[in-house]
Amino acid sequence: MSTVAAPPPVILGRDGDRGTTGMLLFILTEAMLFVCLFFSYFYLARDQPRWPMDPPPKLLLASIMLGVLLASSVVLSWGEKQLDAGRVRSARAALGITLLLGAGFLVMQGLEYRDHMRTLLPTSNAYGSIFYTITSFHALHLGLGLLMLLFVLVLPELHARKEPPYRPMQTASLYWHFVDGVWVVIVALLYVWPNLHR
Amino acid sequence: FLLGGLFMNASFLFNAAPNQGWYGYANLTSRQYSPGLNVDFWNMGLQVLGVASLAAAVNFFVTILNMRAPGMTLMRMPIFVWMTLITQVLLLLAFPVIAVALILLMFDRFFGTHFFVPTGGGDPLLWQHFFWIFGHPEVYILILPAFGIISEVLPVFSRKPLFGYAAMVFSGIFIAFLGFGVWSHHMFTTGMGPIADAAFAVATMLIAIPTGVKIFNWLATLWGGSIRFTVALHYAVGLVALFTIGGLSGIMHASPPVDLQQTDSYFVVAHLHYVLIGANLFPVFAAFYFWLPKMTGRMMSERLGRWSFGVMFLGFNVAFFPMHVTGLLGMPRRIFTYPEGLGWAGVNLTTTIGSFVLAVGILVSLWNLVASLRHGERAGANPWNADGLEWEPASPPPPYGSVSIPTVVSRNPLWDVHDESHDPHGERVLDEDRLTLTTSWLDARPIAVAKMPEDTATPFYLGLALAIGFTAVLLGNLWVTVGAAIASLAITAAWLWPERSRS
Repeated sequence: MSTVAAPPPVILGRDGDRGTTGMLLFILTEAMLFVCLFFSYFYLARDQPRWPMDPPPKLLLASIMLGVLLASSVVLSWGEKQLDAGRVRSARAALGITLLLGAGFLVMQGLEYRDHMRTLLPTSNAYGSIFYTITSFHALHLGLGLLMLLFVLVLPELHARKEPPYRPMQTASLYWHFVDGVWVVIVALLYVWPNLHR
Repeated sequence: FLLGGLFMNASFLFNAAPNQGWYGYANLTSRQYSPGLNVDFWNMGLQVLGVASLAAAVNFFVTILNMRAPGMTLMRMPIFVWMTLITQVLLLLAFPVIAVALILLMFDRFFGTHFFVPTGGGDPLLWQHFFWIFGHPEVYILILPAFGIISEVLPVFSRKPLFGYAAMVFSGIFIAFLGFGVWSHHMFTTGMGPIADAAFAVATMLIAIPTGVKIFNWLATLWGGSIRFTVALHYAVGLVALFTIGGLSGIMHASPPVDLQQTDSYFVVAHLHYVLIGANLFPVFAAFYFWLPKMTGRMMSERLGRWSFGVMFLGFNVAFFPMHVTGLLGMPRRIFTYPEGLGWAGVNLTTTIGSFVLAVGILVSLWNLVASLRHGERAGANPWNADGLEWEPASPPPPYGSVSIPTVVSRNPLWDVHDESHDPHGERVLDEDRLTLTTSWLDARPIAVAKMPEDTATPFYLGLALAIGFTAVLLGNLWVTVGAAIASLAITAAWLWPERSRS
């Protein structure tokens, strides 16, 4: 048995772990949400002679949207590196670019919906229901991610904080990378896979 | 959470109480068979409760992993905290499932989508899958903290450390893990096919191993101990007995052929009351008698407590044991009336009498609490001579907890010669601001200082905005919904906005 000598607290830095842990847990529970949605997609497909019950969704726009999101993730990681190096202005610029890319994604999603809704509605059949549910859920989460980044952008200072939130940019970025990752899975399962299996 | 509960119960005031049964199976919940607001009230109420539970789960998890006392490594953590930690993981993984199910149900009802209605390619069984993927972990969410309570109470009154601490921790993790792999044993009768049936039956029977480990470890903790028969110990031992009975009937319907006979009969109702009510109510009362003196600073009467336990134990068994019999006689569950002359009347009457006896037993304990507040003995810091750190400060504890943050060197800190709060130079007093230590996940080394939030009413406004939002969804008012959503986000932003430094 060893004795524990706690160092005097004054020499310790400020905590950054709780925010990160909390965000990771939030991401975990959100991931489960999407897992369930994908489960419904395949469960509903199980008994259908034809799935999708509609011609499979077009790949082109979805791929461009994928490119936009991946680019935004790269820009944001670069921004995080800039912040670590103390270049706050570059970090803010990266945040701004990410916000624009994200907003662009949402606009393209709206265009895709307008086009797609001509042939398929959420009320048409089970496929339409789950397709629009998954994609609109993703858009909502993306919107939430955008709001988080916007909040970080308007914060008076981004790092070396003595008061909470201690690491706002890193925490919000985690969430952004997560929603980007979800889109990768959506493109793979909802766009690419049905086109391969026709 | 409170607002969610109020929301759900408000449905009674509008004569729109949920009337589709607690399991909410499709198609009973579709617009066609359930017009009116009843199902929507239930749906929205559950959703609010889910949001509240998830927020709390994140909070608990982060607190447990990042803010332990220095030296309290994971394997020195009180077993109750361990079980709470495991429960939070279950919550985080199970609640999104029911959230998705409820949202899809809402879409079905509000927008005419095709998830659970058979027309247009929907599948009512999808609801059952979701419901039980959530539902089975949910019963472990209820039972694991109860197991934790028992594992705290038994050692204190046996005057020896918990037998097989590590086995207790890992059996808890194993139970939680299996909890996600057994949901379909609620659905053997839906025709999933022999392979699925067999897989889920085997997984279900596996649960007997970790629960058995726990029961034998509790017995071994008592074995050879210097037992003090306090009321809390009565309740703890009561759980071990009731849970064993419930576990035995559980093994029976883990087997699909047996389950085909027993499912949807009162035999299952008997099982679930033993494992869910017996194994939850009794530990909660053990905790009630064990920890309330710490909160109120007053001791409760042991004599009244023993009476309460005796009456409750009697009432419980008189109420729920006959359900095995009614079940085997063929009485189906989920009905509230049946014709005369089926031979169930006498047994059901016994059940009814038993349930009233149980209620009387509970009332005795509540009276005991009220009476103790008036003229109970002073509890003192550690009335049970217990081992946990919570018994170190005075009862009731001051708002800041301990003056010096304790350091921990073993699993039973207060039974050591080591003095946890020994701090001659005041090095572990954080008195300049609302500060506390954060420690590393595994070995609890102090790594940083964190500021605790000031008291603020913002979270309350957030809850209010969310409740208004869900009410607006219920009534189908789009603009109020959008307004409440924006208000919620704005309040969250204001809440997270950096506080002005006071120094």
